[in-house]
Amino acid sequence: MKSFAVMRNVLRRIVRDVRTLVLIVILPLFFVLLYGNSFSGSYKDLTIVVVNQDNGLASVRTSEVGRITLTVDLAKKFVAALDPQMFNIVVSSNPEEATASVGESGVWAALVFPKSFSNAVVNAAVRAGGERKVDYEGNTVTLLPSDAADGPKTTLTIDDANPLAAGTIRAALETAFSQMLATQQSSLTPEGLLDVHALYGGKISILDFTAPGVIGFAMTLITVLLTAMSVVRERTSGTLTRILIAPISAWEVTAGYTLAFSLIAIFQAAELFLASTLLFHIRFAGNPGLVALIIVLFTIGLQGIATLISTIAKNEAQAMQFVLFLLIPSIMISGVFWPIETMPPAIRPLSYISPLTYANSGLRKVMLAGRGIGDISFELTVLGAFALVMLLLSVLSMRRQAYTA
Amino acid sequence: MASEEVIRAQGLRKRFGRLTALDGLDLAVAQGQLYGLAGPNGAGKTTLIRTLCGLLRPDEGEAHLLGWRMPSTRVLSQLGYMPQDYAVYDDLSVLQNLEFFGELYDLRRAQVRERANELLELVELTDRSAQRVATLSGGMRRRVSLAISLLHKPRLAFLDEPTAGVDPKLRRSFWDYFNRLAEQDVTLVVTTHLVDEALRCHVVGFLNAGRLLTQGTPDEILAETGMSNLDDAFIALQERGEEGR
Repeated sequence: MKSFAVMRNVLRRIVRDVRTLVLIVILPLFFVLLYGNSFSGSYKDLTIVVVNQDNGLASVRTSEVGRITLTVDLAKKFVAALDPQMFNIVVSSNPEEATASVGESGVWAALVFPKSFSNAVVNAAVRAGGERKVDYEGNTVTLLPSDAADGPKTTLTIDDANPLAAGTIRAALETAFSQMLATQQSSLTPEGLLDVHALYGGKISILDFTAPGVIGFAMTLITVLLTAMSVVRERTSGTLTRILIAPISAWEVTAGYTLAFSLIAIFQAAELFLASTLLFHIRFAGNPGLVALIIVLFTIGLQGIATLISTIAKNEAQAMQFVLFLLIPSIMISGVFWPIETMPPAIRPLSYISPLTYANSGLRKVMLAGRGIGDISFELTVLGAFALVMLLLSVLSMRRQAYTA
Repeated sequence: MASEEVIRAQGLRKRFGRLTALDGLDLAVAQGQLYGLAGPNGAGKTTLIRTLCGLLRPDEGEAHLLGWRMPSTRVLSQLGYMPQDYAVYDDLSVLQNLEFFGELYDLRRAQVRERANELLELVELTDRSAQRVATLSGGMRRRVSLAISLLHKPRLAFLDEPTAGVDPKLRRSFWDYFNRLAEQDVTLVVTTHLVDEALRCHVVGFLNAGRLLTQGTPDEILAETGMSNLDDAFIALQERGEEGR
């Protein structure tokens, strides 16, 4: 079978070409290390400066013994409730200095608690919740709501140049605040009202969620670059002419190429998946065979794109330009980071013609949810049709190259 | 048998944009002929060969090789083609290059070995058969390319400047080999710039501006131009061609 001869020839040349070999072996690892470290999904060691002027006391009226003073230390409890992994807390005594430091030298936020913080929180809680009984020096006393007192408020100064980080910080502060209030048995937390059943037990991190798409994108880039450069090199060196004038059909040549690059794709995909599960423990709940099937169909289609690119490109550098121009947008429109539903309707059709959309969706279903072949039949059908059409176009373009090589 | 026409082309016309590379060209080459294609740079020699082989589609006219109208896949197994560029795999060894193309021509491994031995001896690369092509000189690469083109014992071979960059002694043995092939009824079309090479052809065609100005044995060309050597004859033909445009 002459296709096997072509396949062996492609593989043999790649093994002997150090530059291409490095691209195949090192690039996937590089990709994994890069995205694994930068998309780990949680912020760590964000510096916030805390100025705690709270005297920790709350003065409340009671129906039994008049006004009493409780020691509650709410600001301290608030700070204690902050996630120690996420925040690096720097204590300061100078509010102006603390506030001014935000945005400088890695300080993300400054929290300044006024002297009356505990007092204000307790009184606000009683006002909101109505009378309630607490133990006071061995007796049960009833706390009475009092009029709101205008005191200085707690200030949060935050660097929101990075909205993602600012949002995360605010969410974390709110969590700490609810926890602090919970110690006062005075607030209703969402958890108290809602019985939450998360399908994946909240175990899917941002990294898990984006990994299938990022791996799909890495496969796209490497496969298309490799195939396009190979075919262009074969054409510019004149060997393609030699192949096309030999008694071998364009079909057999294309099949040989497809076999070779599919083998390489499987090798690279295995490398990508192994490295990301071993190094970054990304979630891989499903069947590796299904993942391989998705990857093969996906990359056959990509090879077709690459062959078409190589028909237009005059040399390797031009092929590279086409590849980057066509492929870089694919990661933005294929739902890898942002759901397709958030895109303007005018752009959405682009998402639907990007094969990465379907590869990403299929890989996610298998890897995150452990779904079976029945659940990804739509994705497989689309990717299969895409592969078939691209193979046909590749054969036609090979024939065309015979006349232009 | 020997007079059977292996190449027959009529009215071949090929344009690249505003440039006319072939201008209504007719050609007939008989079996077993060693046909030399001469002419200045840009005369259309390479375009003619590529069109005859079916690598370029003519705008007008038609070409028949071995009785088949081109482009046709039927003749491919009997066709040899040595392009002007090296067209070899730099990353493979000399022998691996031969083995790969041998497989494309349905040669068995043993056949490839046998032919490879024979041809590598001819091109004097036997001791370099395991060497990577990338490490060879330009002249040596051309020799590998020639070996690949003749590997499958084609009945008809187009050799585009097979001796460019090859030293005189080896050039002579190439031409001896071409003559031997012609004696075995193999038809060869060889482009050349060199007069001494043209002298060794059975028939020489002189191409200028996409037209075949004249064709005949070297003696006939000398007689036609009234010159005493082919160098002067070619120059006279070229000048005549330029006047005629």
